[in-house]
Amino acid sequence: MTVATMTAPATASHIKPTQLVSGTFVTTDLKRARRMCEELLGLECVEAEPGTLLIREQGHQPGGPLAGKPYWVLEAREVPTIETPQEMLNHWGVFVTSQAAVDDAFEKINAQQKDFGLGRVQKPRFRHGSYAFYFVDGDSNWWEIEYRTPDLLYTALREKGDQH
Amino acid sequence: MNSLVKPELLSHGTIECSDLAATRRFLTEFLGIDVVRPLPEAQYLWKGGPWSVVCVCVPDSEAKEQGPQNRFKLSVPRAADVDAAHAAALAQQSNYGIRKIEPVEESGGVRSFKLQDLNKHWWEITNLTQSYYDAIFAKAH
Repeated sequence: MTVATMTAPATASHIKPTQLVSGTFVTTDLKRARRMCEELLGLECVEAEPGTLLIREQGHQPGGPLAGKPYWVLEAREVPTIETPQEMLNHWGVFVTSQAAVDDAFEKINAQQKDFGLGRVQKPRFRHGSYAFYFVDGDSNWWEIEYRTPDLLYTALREKGDQH
Repeated sequence: MNSLVKPELLSHGTIECSDLAATRRFLTEFLGIDVVRPLPEAQYLWKGGPWSVVCVCVPDSEAKEQGPQNRFKLSVPRAADVDAAHAAALAQQSNYGIRKIEPVEESGGVRSFKLQDLNKHWWEITNLTQSYYDAIFAKAH
């Protein structure tokens, strides 16, 4: 990843953040959510405290290929009920390295839909230059498995600036 | 672990908006987030890393109200910055269409507050930084 890792605080805004550091979602079954994140999505998980799971991509551990680089954390909190069910436009995205990897992920996830307690698993399709599919987990959280060519990576689009 | 998916990056989250221009003004002028608009119907937000939040424009009638349990956290350097941000939110609430502002809370040295924006999404301003997460993940290794 060539993009600058940490940005300087904004100077003119009312709030001057240094990092968009995490996003949060809820689950009614933290063990189920952890198994999905680890065994299905291949993410690193740690239970920070009872009822709270922290999730990040693999490789940031000491000695890992991404050690010392910034990462984004998803915080999953266990709740008795899902008060605000999520829909497809409220999803979490996971990049894979090729179009074939998207197809491979779709085949495997679709085959193990029941085992992981998933809802709908949509077929991969091209959209706005990305190739991706969506699925919904047992808590109504939507996930996208996505591949983008290098010129359409989010970091590349930042450098291009506004197109509209 | 031999997972079904071999991910490269936890890449993005998503929010909805019904007014791209007003939303961008809030994001850049108030929250201090970087924004670019690569598509007519969407703008991408980021601050401090390769991940993004995709903001998709939908008709106002379709924009869903989120609960505070689904939110994004923005890190500021110091506890005093959280208080300054809270004061700014109160002062600028009507200017930026901020719907709700929760009181400042402190727990375990982490100071924070939550606000609900013009699009009914929740943001948390906190002095929690990546080093907080570093310590928790390190304990697991």
